[in-house]
Amino acid sequence: MAASVVDATIAELVVAAQAGNHAAFTTLYARFHRAVHAVALARVGAADAADVVQDVFARAWTRLGSVREPAAFAGWLMTMARHRAIDRARARGGGDAPAQEVAVAPAPTAEAAAALRAIRALPEAYRETLLMRLVEGLSGPEIAERTGLTPESVRVNLHRGMKLLRDRLAPPATKGGTP
Amino acid sequence: MSGDYLWDRSGADPEVARLEGLLGGLAHDAPLAPLPPRRDRRRALIVGAGVVVVAAAVAIAVWATRGPRAPAPDGCGAGAAGFAFTSRGGPARCGGVATAGGVLPVGVALETPPDVTAEVTVADIGALTLAGGSELTLAATGADQHRLRLAHGRLSARVTAPPRLFVVDTPAATAIDLGCAYDLAVLTDGRTQLTVTSGVVELAAGARLAHVTRGHTVTTVAGRGPGTPVAVGASPAFAALVARVDGGDASALAPLVAAAGAGDTLTLWNLLANGAAAERPAILARLDALFPRPEWLLADDLVAGKPDAIAGLRDVLTSGVWLAPDAPPSPPSPDANPGVWR
Repeated sequence: MAASVVDATIAELVVAAQAGNHAAFTTLYARFHRAVHAVALARVGAADAADVVQDVFARAWTRLGSVREPAAFAGWLMTMARHRAIDRARARGGGDAPAQEVAVAPAPTAEAAAALRAIRALPEAYRETLLMRLVEGLSGPEIAERTGLTPESVRVNLHRGMKLLRDRLAPPATKGGTP
Repeated sequence: MSGDYLWDRSGADPEVARLEGLLGGLAHDAPLAPLPPRRDRRRALIVGAGVVVVAAAVAIAVWATRGPRAPAPDGCGAGAAGFAFTSRGGPARCGGVATAGGVLPVGVALETPPDVTAEVTVADIGALTLAGGSELTLAATGADQHRLRLAHGRLSARVTAPPRLFVVDTPAATAIDLGCAYDLAVLTDGRTQLTVTSGVVELAAGARLAHVTRGHTVTTVAGRGPGTPVAVGASPAFAALVARVDGGDASALAPLVAAAGAGDTLTLWNLLANGAAAERPAILARLDALFPRPEWLLADDLVAGKPDAIAGLRDVLTSGVWLAPDAPPSPPSPDANPGVWR
């Protein structure tokens, strides 16, 4: 274990949290809550997404003992986040484009709401990655660490997703005009 | 201009920066809410042991005072260790005894009549539905693995767990969960059919593996190893070509490769991974035509069948599958990444 939770690796934090160390779990939260939020925001509105984050971490705390391989924590947490967000979306009527989006605080501008809708309309492979990058402010390497994906896969997702997003956000007159 | 702002904020990209400014206000910034108490397992064990002792004493007293009767369920009562289950539509048979619910212990079979289904809780990692006319045995359950055996019939599983913790054996193959939901059936002719509805499943038999991702199905014949996954929406003609190749008809490979479209890249990848060296150039050429392979994945390495390169190509083709939700596969977007899903 590192000298403090601040310096610890994710695997070290997971092992410590499994043993009941709250500080370690709080540090895991600090590292992962934005990625979990992005996963939720890909499927539900912002208000629900915030609830999903807390729900996921409460469940993670009580079920952390089932993680046998600490290095698999990121994938385990993201899978749980996806399931909880999907459950929440289904409870809201199954919609994939949350209607309450514009009612959250801070209220996004019309342009921001349009950008968010455009991201949500992207293929699934790109949605979460772009939300982690553009909404949560995570860098590509940080996304790879938070999701368990390889950096190469994240880079592919970011660039292909961003290309599609640029095309969709471009004014009609310029669409298809770029090589 | 140097740098890659989208990747690591090096260099500049005004449009990405503008989107960050637009959307950054939605970033999550709340602190961790108070955590619920964890179950104290030692205390639960002590309390549980006490309950078991009392229950056993009561059971012995009742048994000693009763006359001859039909045997009790063989270890399928609520006090047994195993997977809890409940039947719907009528009683199931656990250990040969009809019951509406209980606990399926290790080594005991749960059987459902044709018009009865059973909901089975898979430890604390998920659940499965056992369809009517099925037989499922719990082979093992523990910290390292939960293993079931589907002798016949069909099940639908949904699991949230680290990869390889949940395993189901069939007469023809072994389904190894990599984080997913799937339907698994043992057909009347003994073939095993797997359809993945979320995430990824590895289907293994002998030394052969099939990597099956969301929206794909694969059929395995006993003794032949896993077949090649096919997109659920693939045309019957394409699926028939795959079946011919799986059946050993080498002449079907060329038309299969030629017929493969944007939604068939995972089929091609499995053929590349499991095929003979002489077959790989043509398969890779078709894949390259359908999907822009990254420069760092060298054609020579792929044709040579180097495991790292083959796995790297799979990761690129399926990038996002680890992120993919467990919603049903959606129709392709016209501009969707052709290498991901049909």
